[in-house]
Amino acid sequence: MSVETEIRFRLNGREVALKVPATMKTLAMLRDQLGLTGTKYACGEGECGACTIEVDGRTVNSCLMYAVDCDGREVVTIEGLRTPQGLHPVQQAFVDHGAVQCGFCMPGMIMQARNLLEENPNLTREEAQRGLEGNLCRCTGYAKVLDAVEAVAAKESSHE
Amino acid sequence: MSKTASNSPIGKKTLIGQRVRKPDAPDKATGKTRYINDMVLPQMLIGKVLFAGRPHARIVRIDTAAAEKLPGVHAVMTGKDAAGLKFGFVRDNVALKDKVRCEHDEVAAVAAESEEIALRALELIAVEYEDLPGVFTPEAGAAEGAPLIHDEFAGNRSLHFEFKHGDLEAAEATSDLVVDNVFRPHHVTHCCMGTSCAIADFDHNGKLTIWTQTQYPYNYKMDLAPALGIGPGDIRVIQPPVGGAFGSKLDVYPYEPIAALLAKRTGRPVKVIYSREEEFRASPTRQAAIIHMRTGCTRDGTLTFRTADVLLDNGAYTSWGPTIPVIMMRTTSGHYRVPVVDFKAQAIYTNNPYAGSFRGYGNVQTTWATAQQMDMLADMVDLDPLEFHLKNAQRSGEITPQKSFLRECALVECLEAAANASDYSRKRKAYAAQRDEPGRYKKGIGLASSIHNAGGAKIHKSDGIGTILKVDDYARVTVITGASEIGQGIDAVITLIVAEELGVPLEHVTIVNNDSDIAPWDVGVHASRTTFIAGNGTRRAARKAKAQILDAAAKFLEEPAEALDLRDGSVVRERDGAPLIKLDRLLRQMHFQTEPEVVMVTDYYEPKSEPEGARHVSDHSAAYSHAVHVAEITVDTLTGEIRVDKVTVAQDVGRVINRMGLEGQVEGGIAIGLGYALSENMQLDKGRLRNACFRDYKLITAPEMPPIEMHFIESNCAEGPYGAKGVSELPTIVIAPAIANALYNATGVRIFDPPMTPEKVARAIHDRRTQATPGKTAVLEGMTV
Amino acid sequence: MEQISTYLAPRQLDEALRAMADGDATVLCGGTDLAPQTESGARQYQATLLNIRRIEGLGGIEATSGEVRIGATTTVSEIRRSAALADVAPVLVEAAERFASDQIRNAASLGGNLCNASPAGDMAPPLLVLDASVELACWRDGAVQTRRVPLERFFVGPGKTARRPEELLTAVVFDRPAAGFVGRFRKSGPRPALEISTVSTALGARIADGRLHDVRVAMGSVAPTPLRARHVEAALEGNPLDAAAIAAAVAATTEDVKPIDDVRASAWYRSHLARVFVEEVLNDVRRD
Repeated sequence: MSVETEIRFRLNGREVALKVPATMKTLAMLRDQLGLTGTKYACGEGECGACTIEVDGRTVNSCLMYAVDCDGREVVTIEGLRTPQGLHPVQQAFVDHGAVQCGFCMPGMIMQARNLLEENPNLTREEAQRGLEGNLCRCTGYAKVLDAVEAVAAKESSHE
Repeated sequence: MSKTASNSPIGKKTLIGQRVRKPDAPDKATGKTRYINDMVLPQMLIGKVLFAGRPHARIVRIDTAAAEKLPGVHAVMTGKDAAGLKFGFVRDNVALKDKVRCEHDEVAAVAAESEEIALRALELIAVEYEDLPGVFTPEAGAAEGAPLIHDEFAGNRSLHFEFKHGDLEAAEATSDLVVDNVFRPHHVTHCCMGTSCAIADFDHNGKLTIWTQTQYPYNYKMDLAPALGIGPGDIRVIQPPVGGAFGSKLDVYPYEPIAALLAKRTGRPVKVIYSREEEFRASPTRQAAIIHMRTGCTRDGTLTFRTADVLLDNGAYTSWGPTIPVIMMRTTSGHYRVPVVDFKAQAIYTNNPYAGSFRGYGNVQTTWATAQQMDMLADMVDLDPLEFHLKNAQRSGEITPQKSFLRECALVECLEAAANASDYSRKRKAYAAQRDEPGRYKKGIGLASSIHNAGGAKIHKSDGIGTILKVDDYARVTVITGASEIGQGIDAVITLIVAEELGVPLEHVTIVNNDSDIAPWDVGVHASRTTFIAGNGTRRAARKAKAQILDAAAKFLEEPAEALDLRDGSVVRERDGAPLIKLDRLLRQMHFQTEPEVVMVTDYYEPKSEPEGARHVSDHSAAYSHAVHVAEITVDTLTGEIRVDKVTVAQDVGRVINRMGLEGQVEGGIAIGLGYALSENMQLDKGRLRNACFRDYKLITAPEMPPIEMHFIESNCAEGPYGAKGVSELPTIVIAPAIANALYNATGVRIFDPPMTPEKVARAIHDRRTQATPGKTAVLEGMTV
Repeated sequence: MEQISTYLAPRQLDEALRAMADGDATVLCGGTDLAPQTESGARQYQATLLNIRRIEGLGGIEATSGEVRIGATTTVSEIRRSAALADVAPVLVEAAERFASDQIRNAASLGGNLCNASPAGDMAPPLLVLDASVELACWRDGAVQTRRVPLERFFVGPGKTARRPEELLTAVVFDRPAAGFVGRFRKSGPRPALEISTVSTALGARIADGRLHDVRVAMGSVAPTPLRARHVEAALEGNPLDAAAIAAAVAATTEDVKPIDDVRASAWYRSHLARVFVEEVLNDVRRD
């Protein structure tokens, strides 16, 4: 049992307010309190990246981040990427390049890949490999994930 | 006559061999997909399991009073609630245990209103144990006077297998060279990203609905029923989207009947879900084995015999693990042309965690041995291993000693393709020459191959699949298939085949599966069978529908059905593609005529293979295939780190159906095999797992993956759908010995006990360098790290 | 079950220190160590959970004057991206490069990493060769009191530091390295990061007249705490960086390292790697 605190933050572009226990992690808050099950539990220890979200423009493992620390911050989850018009370009690239098999790791993988590309639109395959080192996948061998990231980066550079 | 919207001819196009998107990928990429792990049902309780935490013990007393009184707890159950409800291959298991036989034995279970309450309740359960001496190796388990793990299995003896062919003594006499080694393939685990989870709910008639991660939904009912004391017909199996399976869900594991027992007791749906630590400790493993293998050849490099004497660590209970000799012997007798074979395997119960099925199923372990021995013999007869392999490679039409009929065999093509593309022979020679030169980093290249089932495996009474297909008034197709989608992409293959046969857009095909009340029977996802079996089933059903449609079209159009085809949503004239009537319009005409005709077809496809049989002499798969891997590595001879620079793959796929999905299976299979070869290891210390977390159980990560060059050899399997063969296990099977052979090429060191961790490699190189006789092969055995 | 009765997220340091004065506050910043350790039961919460991440002045990297100051709540990511540190202390940036994963780096604070005092902690060896100290603050006698502890005296055992329960680590400081300073960091692989190191090694020294001065060699994962390898340092101090000195340094390594067998590696391999890394970083400097 722990004391509950009211927090207010922006979640996928909208203001949210709720009360959370001090010990609750952001992952549990998202999944159990807010019904956003896109972000996954796969290890709970920050070793696999399946719970990756973006906070104030940086990716973190939501299983390690205390929910109370979301207060006043800007949080983006996988559910926040697509628009009514369609998939985010990174999501679409993952679909088009066959990067999705069982898909369980994909929300975290896509959140991390998108962040890497926003930081560096000309990301190379090697840089993407390093950047995704914290995201485990058991199905794909990462190959088509990297193909998808490269494709988005190539599109970026062809616009320059 | 009916009008058509457009008059331009529609040419014949094919989707076979194209890159087709997986239909469920967008929902998975947006986080919309609800996996079983995400599911919440009304009134659902959470179930948690109390694991024994010790390897071998009598349960003296369990006191659940305090747990039962905790507010929010709805049920606490122990072994007495599962007494007599034995299940398992040899009926040696129960959902809640009478005795502790391994660390993860389920001693009690709780259903509560939240996970937090359930975990607190577990802490309140008081168990008094009397620890018993344990056995942790099959040798110890088999020894005279060893502690007995199951009363019914004397001497801790579990399953036993044997196969012999030919005169071994004579073959030994004609052999000029024999290699004789002991290999110890180790314990690894599946590490599905979605942890184990089951949700159970009974209805008012006592019928169970179980949401499960199973990959064999129909026989699963037969296996689950005795654990609950109900009839298999009273079980509905629903398979929500899962976060991987890889063979781990080919059996019933205790958490599933536990969910059902708790649901029965509480009258509410109960969800049991594992934490990652529980997943590491309590999931089935890959079968560990001690393989004593001998292979002989004559001086000119012709194989004379192969023997394997295999001891299996059965673990505490018998699941699929100890049945792998059925496939191990196929590799022993069929990996290259081997005239004489002697195989035996004995499984011995221990107090270790027990093994299930894992992608590759016994062939991973066996090829680890056979492919290294092929490499060693080549060296001994002073032949380029490529030549040695080619010399002993089977050709189409050959039959192995176990009667595997290699109808379309492309082993030679695979060897040549992989070796040529990688410049194998020249590099191998060059790197071997550098081996003892000064220099910290050494390059190596290694070749390995294997043979595996590619058309199912008739180890059950049927290896078939049922398909129901309907086409509605808008030319939308629904395929109700027995095939399970577990992430491997059978949904894309089925969609592709229907679109191909019926000329409808991919987006107009809906697949209904993963519910045993709705979909017809399939034996399950194993033995690399699903593309072959479900592909054939789908194609047959689609062709039945097409025939029915074209027969109806023939009547309406007054043209012979043989002169018609379905393309791009229209009925066309086959000869010139002239569109004659839109398909949906035709279907409505068929439906709303005086004697309505709607398109609803059924099919059951049974491959033309032979049952395995007790003597293991049968053509048990409808097809077989081969893969060859050439691995190029750089070894840091000081740290022992192996960096895999490139993998060249040549695999006989029969025919490429969905190119993108096929590549994904090869790439993913190799990643699992690389982890097996280099870094994954369940470190068991007297039955306790020391590294039950991703921090210390090392999966391959993105920066560690090498580039993979794939050559798909199309041998055009007559029995396969469009000529296709099954593919998904060979990539995991072949990569590890390819790396082992590359390590030898680079450093002169062989490792027979995987994984080839940096420490093991560093030590082996260090030992070889400090030996009195330079140039001798150092072999590292018996290391546990 | 822990009972957290109070949660605080102050913006002022004195408020945080007053809350810690009774010694029953659990400090939270990124949570990358606190979360798994409390989940597993290895660590218990105190009555107050004190989130220091918002405290003004506790973050940031200052490298303008003769002293470099890294605020305790600075993330490993910020260290990795810092142009200032790339200029004055690239050896620290190199360690940040090899630290866990992007997601962890973005959350993990330098202060939290040092207070966690893992024998394998990767930020410690480079800070040791930079002769860093930690600044500890507490509330006493109605005011903020600070003291500095040299890092090599800060780690007292696995998971144990010289920090008193009422103290907060507020900064890490070190003198801007002198001209001629070279630093190197090397960590075991094969992964580039996401690895609890089997062995990590850092070297810091000033090169003048072709000789090594003020030699510092530090290692992780070869002892109960991150270690200054004194025998290795002695073998190098004042000597030219030649083959003989390197050989002596490598030999001296075995006198410094006290590794254990554990789930990640054996003592043999740790000793072996320590020697390999010492030789490697010295040869690397020699080449330049």
